[in-house]
Amino acid sequence: MGTYIARHLQVLFATLGDLRRTPMSTINTLLIIAITLLLPCLLYVTVKSAQTLSDSWEGRPQISIFLKKEISDDTATLIFEEVKLHPSIELAEFVTPEQALAEFKVLSKGEANLEQELAFLGENPLPPSIVVMPDKASAKSEKLIALKDELSQFDGIESVRLDLDWTDRFNAMLLVFSRVAMLLSGLLALGLILIVGNTIKLLIFNRRHEIEITKLVGGTDTFVRRPFLYYGTLFGLLGSIISLGLLLGAASLVAQPLNQLAELYQSNGLIHQVTALEMLAVVLVGSLLGWLAARWSVAQHLRDIQPK
Amino acid sequence: MIKLSHVSKRYPNGHEALKDVSFDLAAGEMAFLAGHSGAGKSTLFKLITRIEKPTSGQIIVDNQNLSRMRSSKVPALRREIGVIFQDHKLLFDRSVFDNVALPLIVIGLPHDEIQKRVRAALGKVGLSGKEKQYPVTLSGGEQQRVGIARAVINRPNILLADEPTGNLDEALSDEIIDIFADFNQVGVTVLIATHDLRQVERLNKRTIHLVQGQLVENAISSGKSEVE
Ligand SMILES: Nc1ncnc2c1ncn2[C@@H]1O[C@H](COP(=O)(O)OP(=O)(O)OP(=O)(O)O)[C@@H](O)[C@H]1O
Ligand SMILES: [Mg+2]
Repeated sequence: MGTYIARHLQVLFATLGDLRRTPMSTINTLLIIAITLLLPCLLYVTVKSAQTLSDSWEGRPQISIFLKKEISDDTATLIFEEVKLHPSIELAEFVTPEQALAEFKVLSKGEANLEQELAFLGENPLPPSIVVMPDKASAKSEKLIALKDELSQFDGIESVRLDLDWTDRFNAMLLVFSRVAMLLSGLLALGLILIVGNTIKLLIFNRRHEIEITKLVGGTDTFVRRPFLYYGTLFGLLGSIISLGLLLGAASLVAQPLNQLAELYQSNGLIHQVTALEMLAVVLVGSLLGWLAARWSVAQHLRDIQPK
Repeated sequence: MIKLSHVSKRYPNGHEALKDVSFDLAAGEMAFLAGHSGAGKSTLFKLITRIEKPTSGQIIVDNQNLSRMRSSKVPALRREIGVIFQDHKLLFDRSVFDNVALPLIVIGLPHDEIQKRVRAALGKVGLSGKEKQYPVTLSGGEQQRVGIARAVINRPNILLADEPTGNLDEALSDEIIDIFADFNQVGVTVLIATHDLRQVERLNKRTIHLVQGQLVENAISSGKSEVE
């Protein structure tokens, strides 16, 4: 057992030595691997960030209830009290036509003809409304729709609008995007195997003579292929570590402007922070792909090299 | 130890290098394999080490039938046989030490044991102190001796030497052949392919003659008269 480990360590160090002896081609290979791995990592971080973002919305969908314009203030207050007491509703806020108009003016500030048109109308065209936030249990889309339908039945309510149409759309698009990202990542993994496999193939042919002689003096296939498996695994391992460095660098580049954006929306941390476990996963997957590539290449090319 | 029965070898290009060769080399025997250039001496060695397979006939090495041997068993066979190749087959990007150590590295011997044995083997072939040199910095004869050291390092049961004295002067040739004779003394089966009739005469051992791939004489030579 001890000698078995010693033998492996010896091959490991010999391979590391070989990689150091040809720094240019090693760096080339590692960069290609790192960049190939970087793309799936970036896609993952993007999807993760978008998911966190959409999760942060899902907690507070809003429902706008527009009251009939002709009802009296008393009736409106009555409806407001009734809505407020509804078991599924956590918060309710009454918006008078005046408040609505003021908000509208702020939003349409600078658009002179809109203001002129409002002035032309003479009176406030906006109805009173209630903005409500349902409790957590009712925040799911189906329940929200049921709640919306229930509210629509109320006397004096003109219309009810759910403010989640676009979050739903966002989530649906996110799902499509994450599927495409997965597919793309699979293809890139395949590409990585081909790249590493081809590099190993070149190494095998460069060491053809050595392989022949090793087989002549009784080296087994397992012995002969071992250094190449180490090559593949080390390529994957080192490449994925470089890839992580690039990923963290890229993340910190976009983090600052994104955080400024986040402050505007009073949300924190728009960008997904890569966890230690995720980094470990990237390194493991990278090493595994490198090893697989080497296995594949060795299986294809080592058998053909026989002493003459 | 080595038994050939009706062995023929035809190369893919149609050339018939060996024709119906049969002989039996007992365990612990030492013999010379003589024959002109192109007679098929190297081909015979390639068949015994399963670098090539015979077109027909049977080869049995140490009770193992090579025609039925699975390729996974070939490394074990080659570990049992020390071969000195006609073209040395050294690794030119490796030091003398690494070259000689290779048969021990493939069986995973501990490093200190490897070091001890490599020193001893290089001492035996007169190359002490050249461990760190590269084969290109050595003379043809020295390279040949690196190959010899590599062949004997794993204490094989069988030694096959293909023109081991081709590049050596008479004194050195004698020394090298005597090393083989020493190994034979301790029970190693030795077969030496050579043009060097002087050695054949000097040692007075059994000689197998190949002429254009055919065995024409298989006798214990008993002095100059029979060899001439
Ligand atoms: N791989 C090969 N393909 C085709 N023909 C071959 C091959 N190897 C050897 N031969 C032919 O087989 C014959 C025997 O070759 P071999 O190398 O066994 O001769 P040899 O007795 O070792 O000669 P020498 O003393 O010159 O080394 C030669 O005619 C050679 O041309
Ligand atoms: Mg020959």
